[in-house]
Amino acid sequence: MLFLICKRIGLGLITLFIVSLITFIGVEVLPGDACTAYLEREAFGAQLEACIKRLGLDIPSYERYISWAYNAMQGNFGYSLSGQMPITEVLGPRVKNSLILASAAIIIGIPTALILGIITALWRDKFPDIIISTIAIFSMTIPEFISATLLILVVAIWLEWLPGIVIVSTDATFLELLPNIILPVIAIAMIMTAHMARMVRSSVIQVMASDYVQMAILKGVPYWKMVFKHVLPNALLPAINVVALTIAWLLGGVVVTEVVFNYPGLGRLVIESISNRDLPVVQALAIILASIYVSINLIADLMTLMLNPRLKSMQIRK
Amino acid sequence: MNNVFKLISVSLLSLMISFSFANASSGTFKISHDLGFGKDTNLDAITKGRLFQVVIMTQNRLVRKDLKGKVSEELATKWSANADATEWTFNLRKGVKFHDGSDFDAEDVKYSLMRVKDPEIGSPAKKSLSVVTDIEVVDSHTVKMKLSTSFADFPLNLTDYRLRMIPSGSGDTIGQTGIGTGPFMVDKFDAEGTTILKANPNYWEGAPGLAEVHVIAIPDGEARVQALLTGQIDMNRYVQFSQKKIFEGNSKFKTTVIPTGNWRGMVMNTERAPFNDPKVRKAVRLAVDRQELVDVVMGGEAIVSCDTPVAPADQYRLKMKCPQNISKAKKLLAEAGYPNGIEMAIHVSTKEPTWPTIAEVIQQQVAKAGIKAEIVMTPSKSYWNETWMKKDVAMTRWNERSADSVLHEVYHSSAKWNESYYKSSDFDKNLASARAELNFNKRKKAYQNAQKTLWEESGTMIPYHVSKLVVTNSRVKNLDEVEVFSVQWHKVKVD
Repeated sequence: MLFLICKRIGLGLITLFIVSLITFIGVEVLPGDACTAYLEREAFGAQLEACIKRLGLDIPSYERYISWAYNAMQGNFGYSLSGQMPITEVLGPRVKNSLILASAAIIIGIPTALILGIITALWRDKFPDIIISTIAIFSMTIPEFISATLLILVVAIWLEWLPGIVIVSTDATFLELLPNIILPVIAIAMIMTAHMARMVRSSVIQVMASDYVQMAILKGVPYWKMVFKHVLPNALLPAINVVALTIAWLLGGVVVTEVVFNYPGLGRLVIESISNRDLPVVQALAIILASIYVSINLIADLMTLMLNPRLKSMQIRK
Repeated sequence: MNNVFKLISVSLLSLMISFSFANASSGTFKISHDLGFGKDTNLDAITKGRLFQVVIMTQNRLVRKDLKGKVSEELATKWSANADATEWTFNLRKGVKFHDGSDFDAEDVKYSLMRVKDPEIGSPAKKSLSVVTDIEVVDSHTVKMKLSTSFADFPLNLTDYRLRMIPSGSGDTIGQTGIGTGPFMVDKFDAEGTTILKANPNYWEGAPGLAEVHVIAIPDGEARVQALLTGQIDMNRYVQFSQKKIFEGNSKFKTTVIPTGNWRGMVMNTERAPFNDPKVRKAVRLAVDRQELVDVVMGGEAIVSCDTPVAPADQYRLKMKCPQNISKAKKLLAEAGYPNGIEMAIHVSTKEPTWPTIAEVIQQQVAKAGIKAEIVMTPSKSYWNETWMKKDVAMTRWNERSADSVLHEVYHSSAKWNESYYKSSDFDKNLASARAELNFNKRKKAYQNAQKTLWEESGTMIPYHVSKLVVTNSRVKNLDEVEVFSVQWHKVKVD
C-alpha cells in the first residue's frame, strides 16, 4: 500500500515536470513575447530593450527555465510580468473564487446526479428515464457558452430575476458573490450533473443485471432492500473516479463559463495571462492545475482501494 | 421596544430625505472597462496602463475641445502666442482646488507637463509635447511655454486626453489616488473589480449631477454587452454595429452613432517596387470602391475618406470625392510600365477584426484593374513587430489624432512611424509652413495642400473613418453625443 502511494506520487511529479516543460516550450515558440504584447506599436529601440532587460528576456531560455523550476519547487513562482506582483498574491483570491464556484456546483450537482441516475436506471426505458435522459443528453451536447448565454437571456434579461454577469471585486467575500454566482453555478452544474447521471445510470443497470442480483431477486429479497443494500454500494464505486475528474475539471477547466459570466476565477486568469503573454503566471497556472488533477486522481484511487476490499486483497496477493 | 424602533426608522428616513434634497448630486452611473493592461492598470494618465475611463472624470486638462471640435477653456482661461508662435502664455483659472484641498496653480502645470517629457517615465504622451522646450512659471496663475519651433496650433496639442493636471510632486502616488480637479473623486480604486468615484461637491463648473460613478472591469466584450442588456452597466461605447439590432427599437436603450477620427488603411511600401512608382500607388487606390467597403465591412456606418488621415469632423479636413475609376487605374499602370497589371500580397491579421474582410473586398475590387491581390494571414500577437512596416503591403489602423499630429506622425519624412516610408519635401514644407502660420485660413490652405499631395502620391489607402456606436440605458440623461474625451461628465444625470 505504502509502496503504491510512493509510486503514484513519483509518477505525479514526473507528470508535473513534463507539463511545465511543455508549457514553457509552448509559450516560447509562439510569435512575439511579453514585451511586444505589452508595448504593441512602441516595441522598438530603447523602450523595447529596457523592457526586455526589466523582464530578463535577454537571458537564454533554458537558464530561465532552470531558475524558474528551482524557485517553483520552493513554492516561489516569482512575479507576474505585467504587474510586478508576486504570483502567489495574484493566484490566491482566484483559487478561492474557483473553489467557491466548484464547491457550490458539487454540492448541488452530485446529489442531483445520483438521484437522477438511480431513477433513470430503476425505471429504465420508462417515462421518467426517457424524459430525464433526453434532457441530460441535451445539456451534455449543447456547448457551455450557448447554454450560459441562454441562461442569461432568459433569467437575467427576460425575467430580470438574477444579475446576468458577475460584478464583484476579485477579493469578494462569499456573501458578496452569492446572488451573482447562481447563474454560473447552474450553467456548470447542468453539464456536470448530466455527465454523472448518465454514468451512474449505466453503472446501476449493469449491477442490476449481474448474477448475484438476479439470485437475490429469485430468493425473494425485498426490492428496495436489495437496491439500497446490494446494488448501490457496488454501482457507485466506479462513480468515485468520475466525481474526481469532475472536481478537477471544475477547478481549472471551466474557462468558457468563467469568461462568459465575467467570473474572477482561475479560468479567466488563464485567458487573461495568455493574452498578456504573462509567462510566469501561465507557468504557475499550468503547474497548479496539473497538480490538482494529479492529486485528486491519487485521492480517488486510494479511496476506491479503501472502499473496495476486493482490490485491496488483490494488491496483497501480488 | 416597537415604538423605539419606529422612531429610529422614521428619523433615519427623514434624515435620508433631507440629505437627498440638500445634495444636487444623485444616482449611480455604471460603466465598464476592458482591463486591457491587467495588473498594470493605474490612474496616472501619462502611463500606458492608464484607466482613462476614470482619469477623464477625476482630472482636468488646460484646454479641451468643445462640442464642435474647437479648442476651448478648461483650467486655462486665456492663451496667446508671440509673433512667430514659438512662445505661448496661458492664464490659469483661479480658485480651483484639487481633491486633497490644495490650490491649483502654475507650479502644478509645470510639474504635470514636464513629467510627460521625463525620459525615465517614458510616457507615450510625450509626442504631444515634443515641441515644448521649457515651461516658465510667470506668476501663480500664469505659465509661459517655449517651443522649439513655430506652432500656430499648439493649444490643439494640449487637448490630448492624457495631459491632465495633477498636484505638484504627486507623481509617485497619482497612479493609485487619481487626484485632480475634476468633477469626481476616487473613493476606491480596484482595477480588477469595481472602482468607485464620488461627486466632487466643490467642482469648479458646479456640483455634478451624479452622486457616484462605478467603473467596472469586464474583460470580455460579449460580457459587456450582456451587462448592458441586464442593466448592470449604463453605457457601452464598444458595441459592434452587428449588435445594433439588439438595442434598436427597445425603449430601455438609446443608440447613438458618433463619427470618429479612427481609421483603417492598407499601406504600400513606397520604397519597394512596384510601389516606388507613385502612379502604381495611385492606380491601386483608384481601383478601390470606398463606398462599397463602407457598406460591406461597416454596414454603412462609416464616413468615406479619400486617403486623408484627417478626421471627418476636423476643421482642416480636405473635402473631396474619389469614386472608383478602373479605366484611369489601368491607364496609370500602363504608363508606369505594367500594362498587364501587377501582383501584390496583402498582409492581414485578426489584430483588427475587420482587416481580413477589408482585404477580401479590395481583392475583388482591384482585380478589375488587372491587380492580382493575394491575402496573407499573419499572427496577430506579433503583427506590429513582424508584419507592419516589414511587409510591402500590410493593413494598418490608427486612432484619432489632430490633423497636425496625424500628418506628422504617419507621413513626415523624419517620422519613426512613417509606415509607408513616404518621403516628399513638398509635403514636409507644407506642414512646416502650416505650423508657422498664425492666420487660420492660410494655415488651413497649407494643411489641405499637404492632403492633396497625399491623394496624388501617398502609399496609404484610407477608405474610411469609422463611426462609433454608443449604447446607453435610457435612464441616462444629458450625455453629450461626442467622443468620450469631450463629454462634460458633470452634466450627466440618471433617473
